[in-house]
Amino acid sequence: MAEVIDENNQSHFIVPIGPQHPALKEPGHFEFTIDGEFIIGASARLGYVHRGIEKGVENMSWTQALYMIERICGICSHIHSLAYCQGVEKLAEIEIAPRARAIRTILAEFERIHSHMLWWGVAAHECGFDTLFMYTWRDREIVMDLLESVSGNRINYSVNVIGGVKYDFTPEIIKKTLEGISKLEERTKHYLDIITTDRTLLGRTKGVGTMTAAEAQRLGAVGPTARASNVVRDVRVDAPYAAYTDYPVNIITETAGDIEARFIVRIKELLESYRLIREIVNNLPGGELKTKRVPRKMPAGNVISRVEAPRGELFYYIESNGSEKPERIKVRTPTLPNWAAVINMAPGHRLADVPMLLVGIDPCFSCNDRSICFTGSQDVWTWDKLREYGIDYYNEQ
Amino acid sequence: MSNKHGTMFNDIIKAFFHKPVTVNYPAESCEIPIHTRGKVIYTADTCTGCRLCVRDCPANAIDILIIDRKEKRFVMDYQLGNCIFCGQCVESCRFDCIELSDTAWELASTNQDDFNILYGRKEDVQKVLDSRSNASNIDAE
Amino acid sequence: MNNSIPVIIAMLIFPGGLSLLSGGLFFEWIDRKLVARFQNRQGPPWYQPLADTIKSFSKEEIIPEGGNNFLFIALPIVGLATALTSGLYIPLFGILPSYSFEGDLIVVLYFLSVMTLSLGMAGANTKDHFSLIGATRTLTQLFAYEAPFMLALLGPAIFANSWQVSTINQYTLSHTWFVFTQPIGFIVALIGLMGKVELPPFDAPEAETEIVAGALTEYSGRGLALFHLGKDAELFIGLTLVVTFYLGGLSNPLQFILKTLGLLLIITSLQSLFARLRIDQTVGLWWRIGALLVLFQFVLIAAFHLIF
Repeated sequence: MAEVIDENNQSHFIVPIGPQHPALKEPGHFEFTIDGEFIIGASARLGYVHRGIEKGVENMSWTQALYMIERICGICSHIHSLAYCQGVEKLAEIEIAPRARAIRTILAEFERIHSHMLWWGVAAHECGFDTLFMYTWRDREIVMDLLESVSGNRINYSVNVIGGVKYDFTPEIIKKTLEGISKLEERTKHYLDIITTDRTLLGRTKGVGTMTAAEAQRLGAVGPTARASNVVRDVRVDAPYAAYTDYPVNIITETAGDIEARFIVRIKELLESYRLIREIVNNLPGGELKTKRVPRKMPAGNVISRVEAPRGELFYYIESNGSEKPERIKVRTPTLPNWAAVINMAPGHRLADVPMLLVGIDPCFSCNDRSICFTGSQDVWTWDKLREYGIDYYNEQ
Repeated sequence: MSNKHGTMFNDIIKAFFHKPVTVNYPAESCEIPIHTRGKVIYTADTCTGCRLCVRDCPANAIDILIIDRKEKRFVMDYQLGNCIFCGQCVESCRFDCIELSDTAWELASTNQDDFNILYGRKEDVQKVLDSRSNASNIDAE
Repeated sequence: MNNSIPVIIAMLIFPGGLSLLSGGLFFEWIDRKLVARFQNRQGPPWYQPLADTIKSFSKEEIIPEGGNNFLFIALPIVGLATALTSGLYIPLFGILPSYSFEGDLIVVLYFLSVMTLSLGMAGANTKDHFSLIGATRTLTQLFAYEAPFMLALLGPAIFANSWQVSTINQYTLSHTWFVFTQPIGFIVALIGLMGKVELPPFDAPEAETEIVAGALTEYSGRGLALFHLGKDAELFIGLTLVVTFYLGGLSNPLQFILKTLGLLLIITSLQSLFARLRIDQTVGLWWRIGALLVLFQFVLIAAFHLIF
């Protein structure tokens, strides 16, 4: 096993976590340099589940690429297809009917619910609290059944098509939704109570993995990880898409910045989602589900599409050269910037805190593996230069 | 909110006296929500042979074989092993020939032949099967 | 006061040996089934621990490089042997012990400690860091939980005026249950037992999500099966001890089943209620609170003796 010699000529152990480890649900490699039980250095290596999706979609038509994009991630599949459809619809200048936008939003919130509940159970399991894990996943079945009633599948719902949605909310489904949501809300409030008062759980989460707001900004953390450190940033509010212009959400933040705050932010986001779903489902606008004439060849150009996935900001860059196949689709998933946060906050913690730190940002390894090829000269740009370029680009649009 | 120990006490006591939520599948059958996406089912009566479904399928699971274009006799060659049950073919077809079954979702099989499905009128399907066995006979010889 | 079962049968078949192992496997099943029911799921069927043991015995045993091969193979055997031997001095299954003698309480406790020590040494015997960390944690937890557990068992021994387990058993059969007269000692003994057998929430030495399997990471096949059997036997013997001392002694098998299962029910409900404590929290908690509680209990006992 590896040992490392530091500047005082003392040797330290390196503990490898992954790629096969019970703490990680997906493969990734982390090396923690430890001194006794304390961590003094950390590094990460990813890329174990790289599948070449960005290259694969270049050989498929726009419709076929939709299904490939949806399978980038199992937990956040709808939001990937939503970002893609929004981008392509912007390229082709297609307007989406209000009913379709509302249904897309409801599905996105369902997905947020199921993703947060999944994360919750996994985080409880990492703490050794298997009872909470089993109960959370039992209650998650309610939302999975709802998703299956609407779309026909528990994962990879395939509800979006370019131009609208495929499936509708019948009155029967609406009734089931309202029942399911009230049951879930009651259970979620119970779990919020448990999280904030259970002594053993607090012993594992309070004061662990603290990140200040300034650090979160500097490291570029996104999503609930950043919001738990009082960084007020949420794409649904900053740049609303789908039906969020008609049905706004409130941003949930916490100030503590530790793992307990991340738990609380996600649970409160669940409560916010329930409120939003009830509001939309009770006021579903009428109208058609999809646009009739969607071109097979998208006009040339490029477009940026940003949405709020359950883990943070999801960013798509889509470029078309006027043919039936996409020229380039670039995806930046929210887990990627959050790794820097983990690596930075790890030193100073005990080895026993490592699983909680890793799971606290809600990692999704399969989403975030990309490969980049450098060609040509390698210029290093400063942060300010990049900002300037971005501002100019947007001014030109 | 005071800090407590054993906050899940009520849950575990209640669970102890109730039936577990585990469903003993396959011994018990479980309740499937409506609109489940199962196997593709094709009816050849209204098909016009436009082949939009074939072009849009992301998994290359379906193919429309033309028996007689003028008489509108088509056969669908459905590779169940490739299908990802996305439902795009249902969307693409403008004549309602395709639907996804919501009862046929238990599709596991130990026999590879169960995954090559042909849909269409009986005599058309027979024609396709005959031409395939002729072709394999020619290869064998 | 020993039972009259012939030597070889007492050691190998009943009440030690195979019966002890079967009892251990049965208790492991009850433990897993109860935890599952508390978590609202079904739990394994009755033959699961037996099936696991048979499966482990049939798998290939891989001996990693870098350790002492002889120790690697011998330590599980030593661990299991000491766990089984300690069963000869306690009233297993409610009948008289087979080899009891004056002072055998100390012998039983030390044999159980040897089991944990062999676990720790097995973890230290490889170059794998997970095992090493697990071994360190096992030994740390041993220090923290052994002392209060032993002291808690001494409380009833003082009243019975003897260090022999069967004499203490006779005493507790005929007097009020110590759980009512020495409740603090009971709590310390219970938590001490959970810490000794590494049941959640005190399973930091074997934390699956942090250090894979702790000291047992490199073990597979036969060695793993022997260690698991040793742990099950330890659970069985520990439960019998606590029941003998605090829950009114054992005089017949029916009483044995009822009382030990009742205690196991309490332990499993404690298992499902808490998150895992970090190793520094377990030690910090119990070295302070556990030792203090048991010393307080001794003060009460001394006061009682002085007054009456």
